[in-house]
Amino acid sequence: MNPIAFLRTVALAAVLVLPLSARASSGGPPLPQQNWGFLGIFGQFDNAALKRGATVAVQVCMACHSIKYIKFDQLKQIGFSDPEVIALAESQSHTKKDRMLSAMDPTSAKDSFGVVPPDLSLMTKARKGYEDYTHAILTGYLTDADRQLVDRVMADQKLDEKEMLELASALGVDAHQPDKVKETLKRIQEGGNFNKYFPGNFLAMPQPMSDGAVSYSDGVENSLKQMAHDVTSFLAWAAEPTLMERKSLGVNVMLYLVVLTVMLFAVKRRIWAKVEH
Amino acid sequence: MSKSIMEWVDARLPITELVKSQTTEYPTPRNLNYWWNFGSLALFILIVMILTGLFLAMHYKPDANQAFDVVEHIMRDVNYGWLLRYLHANGATFFFMAIYIHILRGMYYGSYRAPREILWWFGIIIFFLMMATAFMGYVLPWGQMSYWGAAVITNLMSAIPVVGGDLVVWIWGGFAVGDPTLNRFFALHFLLPFVIFAVVFIHMWALHAVHSNNPDGIDPDFKKDGIPFHPYYVIKDLYGVGVFLLVYCAFVFFQPNFFLEPDNYIPANPMQTPAHIVPEWYFLPFYAILRSIDFLGSYSKLAGVIAMVLAIAILFVLPFLDRSPVRSFRYRPLSRQIFWIFVIDCFILGWVGYNPADATRFNGALPLIAVGRTCTAIYFGYFVLLWFITAFDIEKPKPLPKSL
Repeated sequence: MNPIAFLRTVALAAVLVLPLSARASSGGPPLPQQNWGFLGIFGQFDNAALKRGATVAVQVCMACHSIKYIKFDQLKQIGFSDPEVIALAESQSHTKKDRMLSAMDPTSAKDSFGVVPPDLSLMTKARKGYEDYTHAILTGYLTDADRQLVDRVMADQKLDEKEMLELASALGVDAHQPDKVKETLKRIQEGGNFNKYFPGNFLAMPQPMSDGAVSYSDGVENSLKQMAHDVTSFLAWAAEPTLMERKSLGVNVMLYLVVLTVMLFAVKRRIWAKVEH
Repeated sequence: MSKSIMEWVDARLPITELVKSQTTEYPTPRNLNYWWNFGSLALFILIVMILTGLFLAMHYKPDANQAFDVVEHIMRDVNYGWLLRYLHANGATFFFMAIYIHILRGMYYGSYRAPREILWWFGIIIFFLMMATAFMGYVLPWGQMSYWGAAVITNLMSAIPVVGGDLVVWIWGGFAVGDPTLNRFFALHFLLPFVIFAVVFIHMWALHAVHSNNPDGIDPDFKKDGIPFHPYYVIKDLYGVGVFLLVYCAFVFFQPNFFLEPDNYIPANPMQTPAHIVPEWYFLPFYAILRSIDFLGSYSKLAGVIAMVLAIAILFVLPFLDRSPVRSFRYRPLSRQIFWIFVIDCFILGWVGYNPADATRFNGALPLIAVGRTCTAIYFGYFVLLWFITAFDIEKPKPLPKSL
């Protein structure tokens, strides 16, 4: 390979690889990748999941968070009937014409938690990791087994290597930084809200839900994982209710453009046929 | 009938003559390759940007309390508002891609050389205007990155001696980035594209006076090797537009947020600085150059700003730095090698600019600031070396063809 071709190859490789490596360097355990059926060119929202997610959002999230860019009435778009929408709105002391605002006012929220709970309308677009991030936060709190591990480790005030490795795999902490791990454990025992995937590990929000928090009427198992998946799907819809319209229009636009471009290329070849170039 | 109408018009406004002399009989070299598509492509994108921007402006409100919400109103409530916004936001990205390729094409084939210096200079002026326009446009959605990006970049003015501090307050219209800043940025963001359009006209005027350069970089004999712009390059450019639209629309419809920072979907909050402020990708190499000058104590900031501006302004003197008797790098082996090093260097600078200033690689063994400094030196080194190898005849150009 001559030097020019080599340099060109390197330049091309740089273009392709650099953005990827830039994305991968944020620290902490990697966000578990979930399967989101609505992503991809032909992906569709699953209305049953969106409805379950909306129920979780109203019964759990809206205790503190608003979803201000969505009105209750819009929930009909994901398959709720009018009486269902009215019931959901009334459960939050709203009418169906109202925006999905939390009953908790920002001032008292700040008094209780130290921060105003962020609006969730754009949550799945507003964090690195997108839907995976929201799902990871909801499922990244300590399990009962994790808590027992923390208590066991802290009982003798000593951290041996085996315990360190157990902690690293359970909590995603860095086993090479024992001092930091000890401080983390101390904060957990003092009641800090530990989350494996939150940058810095401690956040103002206590664990919002655990297995069985919301009862589902359609027979789907209401495990934490399932509820997190459903509510994240719902929030993805709330972040961009025009997503399906965008993608279906996109498929038509692309088909049109392929035909147009092929025809333009054919005309170009025809016109240039006589020219030596 | 139509002939007599046209005669009547031509007697008053010679349109037919203009069309003839500038398109159907305007001579162009027959050997232009596809790298020559990006100039007209950039014009096409400029028109897309002006049209989508115009319709966005009909719904937007430059008010610090409403701007973020009104962008979501456009995304959700305005008919095809999401399409307008995604076309506009991604259009900026592709505008810069087209312009960067266009500039690099000019650098590779020596399109800046005599007699095209003025053509080249107006191109650089367009580039400067584009950067100002893009920067102010990015502020308008009033997200966290909009706000803090504006704060960081406007703050750079404070490095200017004596008047810097007052100048920043004057630009802000207050003592911090705020509502007055947003208002004036919107006014300027609306105005500047039309200024760009006017300068593009001058750019094309200069082009049509001296005609297109070509991959061989020799002056063609248009009688033998010229073909009229229409239909040959009209159809070739249209085909290029088709290919471009395929890529552009793939992003607009299927990955519209790929080039956007998630943080910009968080409303601007003057009380909370994001962990990591990054400009849009097209500013990253220059941002890296700015940050790489950190070893001059209290002069670092000013020196960084000067280096950043100089990184583009040095293009103005490129026609005089390059002393080779040959224009095109096709026949200049040494120039061609340092050119590709320069291109790779720009990508590495961009990557350094994307990362936090204190980032390291290989467990701290490689601070990125050192990479940034090295790459900044290589960036400017290109221009010095190009002058050096051509002014002292170190490069032996290959023989040129007699004709295209």
